[in-house]
Amino acid sequence: MAKQYDVLFRLLLIGDSGVGKTCLLCRFTDNEFHPSHISTIGVDFKMKTIDVDGIKVRIQIWDTAGQERYQTITKQYYRRAQGIFLVYDITSERSYQHIMKWASDVDEYAPDGVQKILIGNKADEEHKRQVGKHQGMKLAEEYGMDFYETSACTNYNIKESFTRLTELVLMAHRKELDGLRLASNDELNLAELEEDGRKADGTANSKSCWC
Amino acid sequence: MIIQPGIAKAKLGLSREDVTLEDHPLNPNPDSRWNTYFKDNEVLLQIDKDVRRLCPDFSFFLNPTEYPCQLIMDPENEYETLRKRVEQTTLKSQTVARNRSGLTNVSSPLKASASHSLSDIEPLPTGSEAHWEVVERILFIYAKLNPGIAYVQGMNEIVGPIYYTFATNPNSAWREHAEADTFFCFTNLMAEIRDNFIKSLDDSQCGITAKMERVYSTLKEEDEELYLRLQEQNIKPQFFAFRWLTLLLSQEFVLPDVIRIWDSLFADENRFDFLLKVSCAMLILIRAQLLEGDFTVNMRLLQDYPLSDGDVLPILKKAKELQDSK
Repeated sequence: MAKQYDVLFRLLLIGDSGVGKTCLLCRFTDNEFHPSHISTIGVDFKMKTIDVDGIKVRIQIWDTAGQERYQTITKQYYRRAQGIFLVYDITSERSYQHIMKWASDVDEYAPDGVQKILIGNKADEEHKRQVGKHQGMKLAEEYGMDFYETSACTNYNIKESFTRLTELVLMAHRKELDGLRLASNDELNLAELEEDGRKADGTANSKSCWC
Repeated sequence: MIIQPGIAKAKLGLSREDVTLEDHPLNPNPDSRWNTYFKDNEVLLQIDKDVRRLCPDFSFFLNPTEYPCQLIMDPENEYETLRKRVEQTTLKSQTVARNRSGLTNVSSPLKASASHSLSDIEPLPTGSEAHWEVVERILFIYAKLNPGIAYVQGMNEIVGPIYYTFATNPNSAWREHAEADTFFCFTNLMAEIRDNFIKSLDDSQCGITAKMERVYSTLKEEDEELYLRLQEQNIKPQFFAFRWLTLLLSQEFVLPDVIRIWDSLFADENRFDFLLKVSCAMLILIRAQLLEGDFTVNMRLLQDYPLSDGDVLPILKKAKELQDSK
């Protein structure tokens, strides 16, 4: 049977409530846009396989609730992620200012070497813009992140930003990947590597099945 | 309780009592009425965002109510409607953001509000209110009365079905008092489930984490094979049961099914114990699919629960069975 993917890893979407995290995800995975989504409570999960430089990458994307109350729950997902989108809304100055807080949470809870990208969403709502593009670029530069303005509504830069974060994660794991090319029958499961050694109560002695 | 600095007096042509030397919009003092007003606005804006997207695939909440709150609608009473307050608050922040390098570049508020995007809802004419606006008022007043918990996302999903039930009652005498009745019931229901919404209780005995663990421990007793399978796949109860329990399953099913399930939950004297049984029953009823599926398939199933024959009765039956077997 042909391999379904070569590499598997997890991405995480974080940012204030209402900046459009769920919309970004739905646009990327299902190419759909609903102007009003019910608010995300806890986490949502979606999956997509994309091709980057001939490597079939399966990504699990975890969409989190933005409101303060849910942060004890969502923080549990940080350390399981290989890549994180920090999302603000260009029509909300406040959501932009809060990126600082989100970034420091990432520093605290995410693993070292996690890849990050800054997203300014709702770029189609130019008439309501409160955060200039240069402000986004400047902030991204300060944190050493790539930056995209996106619009889930008009499908602007969605694929680009997801692909870019995927590339960054792949580059960060180049060593493991090179090994993969030699033994081309195996798939590289970054998500599972994270799991090893912390399996609960010894019930799972067989290999987890993610495929 | 609802603070509205000076809107009334200014209109009557009296001196503006709202802006004084003691208290004014820039007063940083925590006792300041203005300070409270601005803090309340933040809560209100969050509620506003969430109630506008209540049951989006269903037009009920966007429709006008037959019974708008007369007290507030009457122009004789100088109450500021929440609609007005939200409008003003969002416009305010816009104006400020357009100040640049000393140049005050104030754009016309009218222009900004006229050019709305897809997500904006056309406001109803003055004097009428949409159902979501009634729900907004209920949540805002609840937040004011319960400052310790205030408003947490998800409460909108709890109050929604209750309000819908009252506001669609065939008897107009019931419909007329839907707002007050909903408020009463919501407050009482929250008294029982509020711990789920309080972050600091998450890891305590009465918090949500302990409840999620109980779903799995019940499952372990009832169906160990399935329990082991989920454990092996590292599917933690947080991935799905958090939402199931916090929202009393209101996001998992369509509204008529939610109302049917709530009927059983509320009729049972151990109802929130029954909720754990219902959750467990939901897992057991799809055990064949779960045992077969991999991580991804199973996460899908649990996040987007497949209802066989579109019927929730088998779930309730199974839950009752689990409860009675104890």
